[in-house]
Amino acid sequence: MKRRGVFAALLAAMLWTVPLSGAHADARHASAKTVKVTGEIIDSWCYLTEIMYPLGTAHHQCAVWCAAGGIPVGILSDDGTPYILLSFQDNGQSVANPALLDLQTHHVVLEGQAFERDGMHYLVADRVVEDHGITNMTHEDYGIQPFGE
Amino acid sequence: MRAMMAILSLVLSAAWTAGAIAAESWGLPEEEETRFEAKVVDALCELTGDCAQRCGGGKRQLALLTGEGELILPLKNVVPFAGTTVELLEFCGKRVVADGLFSTNRGVKVFALQFVREAPDGKWRRANRFAGQWAAANGVDPKSKTAQQWFRNDASVMKAIERDGKLGTGE
Repeated sequence: MKRRGVFAALLAAMLWTVPLSGAHADARHASAKTVKVTGEIIDSWCYLTEIMYPLGTAHHQCAVWCAAGGIPVGILSDDGTPYILLSFQDNGQSVANPALLDLQTHHVVLEGQAFERDGMHYLVADRVVEDHGITNMTHEDYGIQPFGE
Repeated sequence: MRAMMAILSLVLSAAWTAGAIAAESWGLPEEEETRFEAKVVDALCELTGDCAQRCGGGKRQLALLTGEGELILPLKNVVPFAGTTVELLEFCGKRVVADGLFSTNRGVKVFALQFVREAPDGKWRRANRFAGQWAAANGVDPKSKTAQQWFRNDASVMKAIERDGKLGTGE
């Protein structure tokens, strides 16, 4: 009887613990939304601070420099929302990821999970649905940023 | 008199030390000099639960999680065109004091890390470790022009620019 009581108490404790740890995980991790984001791959720092003209061909070389230096790469959706890419094609490497260097400035459609936390939008990009290449020809108006060469 | 001089020298020394690590203005939009304490976390792990050993060992973006639960993603260190993973990696899972600039623009607040130390009273370090690490990895003198202009001399950059041109269009 005593043994059965201990077993019941252990079972009750386990059942109690499972939903609690689930609730903890939900509270800690932001809720994801599966999305398709259409837009230009950007350098987040130059775009968000506007320390120079940050888009298209005018900024391509600088965007490659920044991606290689580990500044977060983002995508500026056509609706104007900037997302930070934290993972790309099942690769958690978001610092100087060669695949992201190659995709800089391209206009693409990415599919993945979007998160929002403390005013910043993040994207875990599972796959490139479409790659339209570089379509934003800004160099005629803005030259080559930031040094003109 | 001697005691007064000692106190004065202590005060001046403290002021100099504080001044030496104070955030420097970069003229950013809605710029705000800031210093706060936070835990260094793997941003992907914090948001999704997809966690890696040692915060990804330098391959993942690191973020700063404050005691109030605010997640701050630092975008920039003090080296031209470089980010902050190299500066924060050794503090993975630890609390740091971060000193730098907030800038709010286009509806988003971003953070540039200029100085960092382990909390509460570790030694201040300028967030410029990237330059030395790049120089060491490429076998060049960290004070050389090659290292200072790392962004023009990095193998991955050179490969991309040679292939696609400065405009990215192949021209």
